[in-house]
Amino acid sequence: MEEIFIGDFEFLGKGIPRVDAKDKVTGQAKYAADIEIPGMLWCKILRSPLPHAKILNIDITRAKRVIGVKAIITGKDFQGFRWGWMPATRDEPPLADDKVRYYGEGVAAVAAVDEDTAEEALELIKVDYEELPGVFDPEEALKEGAPVIHEYRPNNISWEFHMDFGDVEKGFSEADLVREDRFATGRVIQGFLEPCSAIAYWEGGGVTIWAAKQSPYFLYRHIAQCFKLPLNKVRVIQPFVGGGFGGTKNDSVAGDFCVVMLSKITGRPVKFIYTMEEVMISARRRHNAIIYNKMGMKKDGTITAMQSKLIADGGAYTAIGPLTMYLTGCISTLPYKLPNFKHDAYRVFTNNPVSAAMRGHGVTHTRFAAEIQMEMMAEELGLDPIEVRLKNAIEAPHETVNKVTVLSCGLKEGLLKLKESNLWKERGKEKRKNHILIGVGVSGTAYLGGARQRGHQAAAAVLRLCEDGSIEYLTGATDAGQGSDTVLLQIIAEELGVPPEQIDIQRVDSAYTPVDPGTYGSRVTALAGEAAMKAARDLKRQLAEIAAKEWNVKPEDIVFKNGKVFVKDNEEKGLPFRKMAQIACYSGSGRVLVGRGHSEYGIEPLDFEKGIGNAGTSYSFTSQLTRVEVDAETGFVKCTDMIIAHDCGKPLNPAIVESQNQGAAVQGLGQAIYEEFKMDKGKTLNPNFADYKIPTALDVPNIGVIHILTEDPNVPYGAKEASEGAIVSSPPSVVSAIHDATGIWFKELPVTPEKIALALREKGRGS
Amino acid sequence: MEKKEISFRINGEEVVLHVSPNRTLLEMIREDLKLTGTKEGCGIGDCGACTVLLDGVPVNSCLVLAVEADKKEILTIEGLKENDKLHPVQESFIENTALQCGFCTPGMIMSSYALLKRNKAPNEEEIREAIAGNLCRCTGYVKIIEAVKRASSSIGGK
Amino acid sequence: MIFYRRLPKFDYVKPASEAELFKVISDGRKAYVYAGGTDLLPKLKKRLLPPPDVLIDLKGISDFNYVRIFDGKLRIGPTATIYSVYTSSDVVKHFPILSQAARSIAAFQIQNRGTIAGNICNAVPSADSAPALLVLQANLTLKSREGERDVRIEDFFLGPTRTVLRDGEILREIEIPLLDSESLGLYTKLSVRGRMDLAIVGVATLILKRDGKVKDVRIGLGAVAPIPFRAKKAEEILKDGKITEASINEAAKMAASESSPIDDHRASKEYRLLMVETLVRRSLKKLLGV
Repeated sequence: MEEIFIGDFEFLGKGIPRVDAKDKVTGQAKYAADIEIPGMLWCKILRSPLPHAKILNIDITRAKRVIGVKAIITGKDFQGFRWGWMPATRDEPPLADDKVRYYGEGVAAVAAVDEDTAEEALELIKVDYEELPGVFDPEEALKEGAPVIHEYRPNNISWEFHMDFGDVEKGFSEADLVREDRFATGRVIQGFLEPCSAIAYWEGGGVTIWAAKQSPYFLYRHIAQCFKLPLNKVRVIQPFVGGGFGGTKNDSVAGDFCVVMLSKITGRPVKFIYTMEEVMISARRRHNAIIYNKMGMKKDGTITAMQSKLIADGGAYTAIGPLTMYLTGCISTLPYKLPNFKHDAYRVFTNNPVSAAMRGHGVTHTRFAAEIQMEMMAEELGLDPIEVRLKNAIEAPHETVNKVTVLSCGLKEGLLKLKESNLWKERGKEKRKNHILIGVGVSGTAYLGGARQRGHQAAAAVLRLCEDGSIEYLTGATDAGQGSDTVLLQIIAEELGVPPEQIDIQRVDSAYTPVDPGTYGSRVTALAGEAAMKAARDLKRQLAEIAAKEWNVKPEDIVFKNGKVFVKDNEEKGLPFRKMAQIACYSGSGRVLVGRGHSEYGIEPLDFEKGIGNAGTSYSFTSQLTRVEVDAETGFVKCTDMIIAHDCGKPLNPAIVESQNQGAAVQGLGQAIYEEFKMDKGKTLNPNFADYKIPTALDVPNIGVIHILTEDPNVPYGAKEASEGAIVSSPPSVVSAIHDATGIWFKELPVTPEKIALALREKGRGS
Repeated sequence: MEKKEISFRINGEEVVLHVSPNRTLLEMIREDLKLTGTKEGCGIGDCGACTVLLDGVPVNSCLVLAVEADKKEILTIEGLKENDKLHPVQESFIENTALQCGFCTPGMIMSSYALLKRNKAPNEEEIREAIAGNLCRCTGYVKIIEAVKRASSSIGGK
Repeated sequence: MIFYRRLPKFDYVKPASEAELFKVISDGRKAYVYAGGTDLLPKLKKRLLPPPDVLIDLKGISDFNYVRIFDGKLRIGPTATIYSVYTSSDVVKHFPILSQAARSIAAFQIQNRGTIAGNICNAVPSADSAPALLVLQANLTLKSREGERDVRIEDFFLGPTRTVLRDGEILREIEIPLLDSESLGLYTKLSVRGRMDLAIVGVATLILKRDGKVKDVRIGLGAVAPIPFRAKKAEEILKDGKITEASINEAAKMAASESSPIDDHRASKEYRLLMVETLVRRSLKKLLGV
């Protein structure tokens, strides 16, 4: 078992096996689609074949007559309800009512006794559309006279975000070299293997819904709003989740609202499962953006100023877009010193599928542009890529011009480790082997952890001590696969001195578990972890008081370790934890011991409009080396190696931290060279895994992860974030490697073999 | 559409069922036999989440008709462990943190199990090829490949 | 627009003999014949084909499942899986190019069910087995209730997903004549990922030698024209052993000019043409030791 020493701990810093591993390897773990309730009906959704059209009429009379159809609904049944991330941007209906705004938007839904019948019924629903001109490119949508997608945004600008710090013009004038470049990130999707699915059961004036959600409490609030239910009548239960990666499963989908409505009408449980094609066409994607980046650099590599303008394709609705725009700029002032920074971000409506969050949210676009441009300038000035990064890297403690405060930073240490690696040392020694060009690239990036949005941001934990010493742990935090359940149990185990097997984690059930903002922005270990730690300490305090009375000492002198409760420096005076629990519970007329804790920020409020302040409780720093072999004629890229130096503060479970880094890096590799949705007037041409190419086992490189340890006081046990850093560091590292191999800077993702082959030919380096 | 009676063995057990011709093996396993360990990812043979062994070879059960199970032997993830003892491949996945969300895991394990049955000491290239039809979005495959390597040595491959 | 998760309704029959098959195949109902189902089932699920009244499963006819050398030819039956062809010792020994091509198709799960016969009857221009079968000059036996007819592989394809197969007719056997001379072959598949991809360009190159001298060069191309085809003009340039670096380059260029690829979401026409030239040149150089 892998172990990293991060302190005198029994369970922390150890790569203990995941607590849910056995259920998953035996097939026992139940996901939403695995759940079956007697009497359950199946829901299927009819979707628009047009990207922009008025709905004139929907005729359901023939469909209603199909035997086995129990209910049919259309957009009108939701009575004008709109949902969205902010009150000001609630522009999305569960099913389109006045018009459809993207190809595949839902317009009607059927509940029937089985899925075959539901599909048959959909075939008989007749929808009359009046097609409207559509717009599919954000820069086109900004032009005068472009089709207006939402009345409340006549210029099609869904959201804007502006930052202005220092004096960029002065900064550019101080520079010896100024560059302006246009970059573009591609159309990519989370790519989780589990399609969206949920079962809703309306009974007793409320609804219970089992749903595949990464953050169930979003759905909880959406359902309450939509169906005008008090929150205590909305019960969201979470099964195991088959991957999230932000976006779709951190939001609600048409199917969720439909099954609740259909269950309300029929009085029976109703289930939906999307097909993967349906997910790819109708669910959320990452924003794709054009980034105009301008940077000023002195001869010695010092960055003097940066100005970025980002135009994002927001798709048909706003969703979480405002946060995305904020994130494209709020930590652009990391990880390099940047005294002057201006950023203008525009999220533009188009008749494309809705863009929302995805791992590395917002930062992936602008960090990609800045990293590549910085290296381009270093090259022009004759500076080494690692040296220029070391020159500009921040050191903790550091406050940026927009008041982002960094209390720990392992960037320099990471870069230095990479510099010492054989991979970097061998760079340039062999640049070509027959028709294969070899290159090694580097990147140095940052991401935030313990994310904070607007609204309710606290995590809480409840620990119930059972009289036999076993413990029930209630948390609203979700493990969508990233391994947080295990790490949270390690924290509680460490605090109470009992093995993780003695603690049982209850998956989210909003009837019992405390509300939680959700699993995103790498906040679970930081914030739910803080809550768990505090709940454990609360429980400890209660037990310590009882023990202290027993042994006539002060509560502060009681130690919980190795399954025992004893007096400090006098282990003889002690009892096994289980015995202590029994005594505590049975003392007097019986006691109920419950530990409670919640997270607190202790940081100043942030200014969301201006991009001032901390978007998270801490920041991770990821430096990455990538080695590629590029076929000089076909452009085919084989990525052979990656080394990731990741500063997550303290890896509470090093095996999980590594796995997260490897997964994020491969997802980043996919974005960099393989993945891309091809669009034709709003229609996705490749909505399947054969043509939307996520990496397979044959495509992935060897990936080594180096743990960089730092001390951060703002997080439990010093654990920052370990889930998103590598998806930010990966694409620029890959593109830097491709440049090292080919001599060409590619500024648009994905960098496909075709792009490389044609560019090499143009450059005259064909063979 | 006439239902057909089929009889087959699944995870060592004899079963007789009446199935519609248009039912897939995956649907039968999950919905008729309630063995929900095998997952539906894409439903069209691109992702491998539905991998089961049919007469000992890995197939995408979403592309096999249920009627074709007649007189055949099926092995799903639920059939790997013996009583309470996990198969070495399963143990290895746990020990080597070769999973995250777990959705691809049953299919991934079935492909790995099939590999080790036909090749006791696969090299890395052979392992990668064996699981090339099983997509994973969470792990980046690195620890999965490691887990299969270690499972093969514990089964006595090297 | 509906995203179907279920297959449409149909009847299913599994004839146990050829006689039974031909009785059922033309009994008036709309029937699709299938073996592996790995191309058919996704199409049916997505409603890209009109639903049939009946699906006829060929796998009940045990005589259909073979890969063997018999009577001077390699013979592949209609239900021989891709995996069985790629691992057949006869194929590996005598026609390694076909083994290579078969191995490049998708992944094990598909190879254990899909058939070579199905791969060519599905007739997408990028079918991986087609270029290899073209250079091996395979002969196809088509059979119906009326009888049998032979069709050369190069006459089999009519266009994307269209072949000369008539209603009620099946591909009964693929036969490949044993080569009477020493041969070297290579199938190169250009794709974006290492696996699971349809070929952007597929090139099969076969060199036949006699007494150490090159006697014949055959080039089969896939995914770069409406049908897989042999680049005969390119072959002509290398005829009678006129093998030099210059003639190879010329042949490669000619092969590209004989191609007519399209722009689609997988690749552009321009790139495909360049890749035909590159891959033909490379495989010729490799096989001819130039």
